[in-house]
Amino acid sequence: MRASGRAGVSTISAAVLPAPRTLRARRVILALAALLPLCLLLSLGSGAVNLGVAESLSALYQAIAGEKSSQAAVIIGQIRLPRALLAALVGGVLAVTGAATQGLFRNPLADPSLIGVTAGASLGASLAIVSAGTFTAGLLGFSVVSLGAFVGGLLTVALVYRLAQSGSGTSVATMLLAGIAVTALAGSVGSLLEYQASNEMLRRISLWRMGGLDGANYQRLLVAALVCTPVLAALPRFAIPLNAMLLGESEARHLGIDVDRVKWSLIVWVAVGVGTCVALAGTIAFVGLVVPHIVRLMIGPDHRPLLPACVLAGACLLLLADTLARTLMAPAELPVGVVTALVGVPFFVSLLRRRHQYGMQ
Amino acid sequence: MVAALLTVVAQTGLGDIVVRDFAGRDVRLAAPAQRIVALAPHITENVFSAGAGDRLVGAVAYSDYPEQAKAVPRVGNFQSWSLESLVALQPDLVLLWSSGNGIDTLPVFDRLGIPVFVSEPRKLSDVADTIRKIGKLAGTRAVAEAEARRIEHTLATLGDEYRREQPVSVFYQIWNEPLQTVNGEHLISQLMALCGGYNVFADAPSLAPKINIESVLARDPDAIVASGMDTARPEWLDDWRGYPSLIAVRSGALFFIPPDHVQRPTARVLLGARELCRQLATVK
Repeated sequence: MRASGRAGVSTISAAVLPAPRTLRARRVILALAALLPLCLLLSLGSGAVNLGVAESLSALYQAIAGEKSSQAAVIIGQIRLPRALLAALVGGVLAVTGAATQGLFRNPLADPSLIGVTAGASLGASLAIVSAGTFTAGLLGFSVVSLGAFVGGLLTVALVYRLAQSGSGTSVATMLLAGIAVTALAGSVGSLLEYQASNEMLRRISLWRMGGLDGANYQRLLVAALVCTPVLAALPRFAIPLNAMLLGESEARHLGIDVDRVKWSLIVWVAVGVGTCVALAGTIAFVGLVVPHIVRLMIGPDHRPLLPACVLAGACLLLLADTLARTLMAPAELPVGVVTALVGVPFFVSLLRRRHQYGMQ
Repeated sequence: MVAALLTVVAQTGLGDIVVRDFAGRDVRLAAPAQRIVALAPHITENVFSAGAGDRLVGAVAYSDYPEQAKAVPRVGNFQSWSLESLVALQPDLVLLWSSGNGIDTLPVFDRLGIPVFVSEPRKLSDVADTIRKIGKLAGTRAVAEAEARRIEHTLATLGDEYRREQPVSVFYQIWNEPLQTVNGEHLISQLMALCGGYNVFADAPSLAPKINIESVLARDPDAIVASGMDTARPEWLDDWRGYPSLIAVRSGALFFIPPDHVQRPTARVLLGARELCRQLATVK
């Protein structure tokens, strides 16, 4: 009696299992969507200058109305708002590209840097710092260093992609190895370059590598939004092909998915999105690797809710981390990459402890 | 008493030169150093100031001042130099910069029997002190002493001339992106104090912290002093004009000092000190 009852329960739960999952996913997405404005307000309300809640809100109103009369309006409108929006944008892009890369490579250790974009950007930035010298002008609000990073990132991805191509299509495994090789190569060339750098340049290279959002202004935010909004809009549309590819590439092909096209489009979107983020904010570790896992632990591996939830969670995490980076050691700033791990890892580990059986599938 | 003195003399040898270095070690030389290797650009500069430039047989990259320093053979850069090329120069004295070269290389030199003087100038008074000590080690005491006195005298005169009842607050900007300054530990903060000013970020937790625009607005300095990459005034210094509420912007107190005049602990800090004092004197 008891045994048959148990069997009955398991049959039923197997049949209904997707329902609570989607319900839960919906709840998590709603909660994150509600959390994001709160994180944004927290970020706007904190900083080296102590503005109260009331003054912050009135300054925000003034800033939106376009007034620049008061000091508070300048601080909120010209310094904190563009920085907070950039943090949210960069966090969202890093997390969602991380989720897409993990899905594409079917590898839980994958993150956007795997296809070489971060290492290439790092090298590009170092090259720019060493060769540009005092030439600090730029294009569209991007400094020479940012442009160097962006171009370096894209060129490296193109190289990795070329290396993985063969007559029979693009091999994900080869791309992974090529990414590791090219990342190592770019790292070595970067280290070689440091021998050519003066003390001053070395300091700038190391600070750039640590990442930071302190260069935020509206011009850069605009460029970032123009590039990243299409990325944020495009990636969630790959949810179904990514779900199919979790089964394996040939299975996905049998399900009617044009696997090589999907791979190519995903790589392009990831490279453009991450390249822009790295160019604007330096290398920010952790967000692209662990945020997708955190979200998967909460709502499961279905890419349909996973990708939008990652955008929201990444944005919240980077906003919080940047707020702490600005305030913990004030007047000095901490590298934001240090704080993302400090904030995210305990949360991630506690989730992990509760679900020992967690895996990609 | 006499016996004790005799044993000391017997242990050290009569003609010995003993100089206490910045790591608190006693550096002993039997005779004045004839072949010196300097492992940092500022040390090279100080060797020339001490009148021992002609004894310099090795230096590192960016040892570019005075002009003759550029001709000294290189053994690498301050972070990584070739021990082999250093040994090949057969030095009888190596001048090490502990925070730049790393103090952990000391045992290597001890094993090779090469005397090392550790230099770590942190205070303004350390500049004259270093030059004096190098002069003693190289046997060029007269030149070194004269130069050390000139430095001390000039600094003292500047201090007297520019002392103020109400010190002006100063923000020193190393670079714009990332926005970077120095804290109270840095030589520059002492130059500010000499010129009747104080560093608004003296309390920052690290020597060269990254800060943000907002903290500059919060501390609202009377003057902003920037160094760029070389001898040209950086264009980004004028970016502050976008924040007209700043006292320094309203009074036009946006100044430039070449980095080598304030960031290197050498006789050239006198140039930096003079420039800074003159600039701060125009404030208020």
